[in-house]
Amino acid sequence: MSDWQERITHETAPAIRSEHELRYRVAAPLILAGGPWADLGCGNGLAAAAALGDERPAHAVLVDIEQDAVAAAARALGLPDAGMLAADLTDPADLQRIGEALVALGEGPVVSCFEVIEHLSSFLALLAWSTELAREHAATFVLSVPNDAFWSIRNPHHRTSWSEGAFDELRQLLPAEHTLMRQVALSGSAMLGWEATPERHELAVAVGGSATVPTHFIAAFGARHQDLERAAVAVQTDMGAQRRWERERESNVALAQGTVAEQAAAMRAQEATIAEQREQLREQTAEFDAWRTYIHELERELGRPLSGAPAEDSRQPDGPSQEGTAPAPADRAEPPA
Amino acid sequence: MRVAFLVNDLQLSGGVGVVVQHARQLSTIDGWDITLVLVREPEGPSWHGYEHLPHLHVRSREQALAERYDVAVATWWETTFTLFELSAERYAYFVQSLEDRFYRHDEAERLGAALTLDLPVAFITEASWIRDTLASMRPDAPCYVVRNGIEKNVFGPIEQAPVNVSDPLRVLIEGSPSSWFKHVHDAINAASAMREPHHVTVVCGERKALGEVAADEVVGPLSHREMAAAYERCDVVLKLSSVEGMFGPPLEGFHRGATCIVTPVTGHEEYVEHGWNGLLTDWEDLRGTARQLDLLARDRELLALLRTNALETARAWPSWEQSSQFMAAALTAIAQGPAPAAAPAAERLLADLRGGLEIYHGHLRERVDYARRAMRFERRIARVRASAPVRRLLAIRRYRLVKLLAWPLRPLTARARRLLS
Repeated sequence: MSDWQERITHETAPAIRSEHELRYRVAAPLILAGGPWADLGCGNGLAAAAALGDERPAHAVLVDIEQDAVAAAARALGLPDAGMLAADLTDPADLQRIGEALVALGEGPVVSCFEVIEHLSSFLALLAWSTELAREHAATFVLSVPNDAFWSIRNPHHRTSWSEGAFDELRQLLPAEHTLMRQVALSGSAMLGWEATPERHELAVAVGGSATVPTHFIAAFGARHQDLERAAVAVQTDMGAQRRWERERESNVALAQGTVAEQAAAMRAQEATIAEQREQLREQTAEFDAWRTYIHELERELGRPLSGAPAEDSRQPDGPSQEGTAPAPADRAEPPA
Repeated sequence: MRVAFLVNDLQLSGGVGVVVQHARQLSTIDGWDITLVLVREPEGPSWHGYEHLPHLHVRSREQALAERYDVAVATWWETTFTLFELSAERYAYFVQSLEDRFYRHDEAERLGAALTLDLPVAFITEASWIRDTLASMRPDAPCYVVRNGIEKNVFGPIEQAPVNVSDPLRVLIEGSPSSWFKHVHDAINAASAMREPHHVTVVCGERKALGEVAADEVVGPLSHREMAAAYERCDVVLKLSSVEGMFGPPLEGFHRGATCIVTPVTGHEEYVEHGWNGLLTDWEDLRGTARQLDLLARDRELLALLRTNALETARAWPSWEQSSQFMAAALTAIAQGPAPAAAPAAERLLADLRGGLEIYHGHLRERVDYARRAMRFERRIARVRASAPVRRLLAIRRYRLVKLLAWPLRPLTARARRLLS
């Protein structure tokens, strides 16, 4: 599974890894064209390494908020000489530092910035810096944001929300010359030999159309924005992991449903008990009331203070004296049944 | 960056609230200094909560005239009268709706509001439909869309849409009853025409203008937090407006787990998807609207689905913090870009003025013609009244016998009197 900072690791689901890999793959012609490359929010560098294959740019600057991640990316990419910068992309001074490092490596730099903007508290500085670098140093930028409108998940790492509308707001602020792309998800299947010997298939996939829902939005601007390639990636699904996840979900749901059903039954039983006890209480209260009335009558007859009543109220003002006034047994009130 | 937002006043209204939100957010950015310029004398309750912000100032028009800004932004058509009086590097116009539509066809303000869109300014607007309209009217002027954010700490999306299994359908109607285009009374009438059990809450700050209505509860004016709680208590927000800019209230409802039934008013297309997170109803179809409410009252699965999807839509909507970053970027682009050329704007302004004058002349001719015909009619009536037989007839009206005889004809004579008056 991906780590808590949403970085791509070896355990990240294949579909998500291929999604990240594809973004680097479409930018690969730009990255490998000869100019210096900066990867903003490089993470562990796994997706870039997979997309670039055996080729590497001559000069690179790897940037992330954490120094450990930058070092891991340099290792994964096999770029020990790459510039490694831990930087905050909301800080104009840090951006200035990245720009200087990049420009020092040569003209026509390429900057990739995938799945980073939504993690920033403010993208203003990055936007201003990138458009200036594109204008002043013929830099080319490729960036992506997720289509949050499609994922009904509250992501604790995302500081801003992105959708077709929000991306449109961003697009209008980019230099007039730019290239836009929609990234979509693929599903599929493959047939292979009984021994499951690794094979390679070239696929022809029909994509696009009126019902297309993008998972991500891509924009490129700057000197070579039009060199961005369109591509598709399909990888074998890890059915074992997927099955485990789905069965876990199913069993958890079944457990939750079972628990709810059990609790509902227990609640019904409790309600029945409560109703029964309420009825018993009502009967007993009526019985006690009848006894109290009977006892009070007896106490009145005996001229005794009424039990259970306040002292001043319990004495009968005109009651007979206690001596020699006991009524005949036949006149006594009958005890309640 | 020194930015001046021109507002009529700081009275509590949706439009001014949007400007104040942007001003507050922008003033927190390093190096930004924001001024709210009041172009009218303040009266009534105002927006508050900005007094402690060191880079947000409130100035009168007279005070602002002495200062210089990087960008001066008009925010309502009447504020453009002051816009060019201010000293600024660039002039912009934050268009929250096509404001001429707030006025009826024969009101002079309608033309005035429309003409302000021809000024040589850069535009910022809050809805794509306004951007598209402005782009077709003013292809020469830059136009940026900055959608309104949502105050997520007040209306922040709840975890899960509440489920109403068997309680009466809780309908919330809000809006100003004195704004004809909000159709608040229509919405109340539609809700009261429901056949299924329901509970209608009307949120309204103007009780007098609202009058007696068929609602279970009338509340308001409410603070934002109280409004959020009101949305959370309801299942559906009913809004039948015919003019809207960005159309915020149903979206606020979405954040608190309510779905909506709305007319296909401008602005709805930003987030309402019929059958997915809300329902669209036809214009002036109160009976159809009542049936849609009945449908939600009967079909609780559909109600739960719409509410769940409404909440999903809300989660992806930007906060004010994000929205104001777009505003900052747009203002920066305006400040750094060239000033819009005056000639195309003037050309457009004069063409629209000519068109407006022709319409005005048309109205004037119509009215003069009506007046002339009325005068002719009145002269004839005066002649008839002055004739001897009519005078005699009118004179015998005072006899009791005549009054008794004329009693059955009263409806007829009353109608004739009304016609003649």
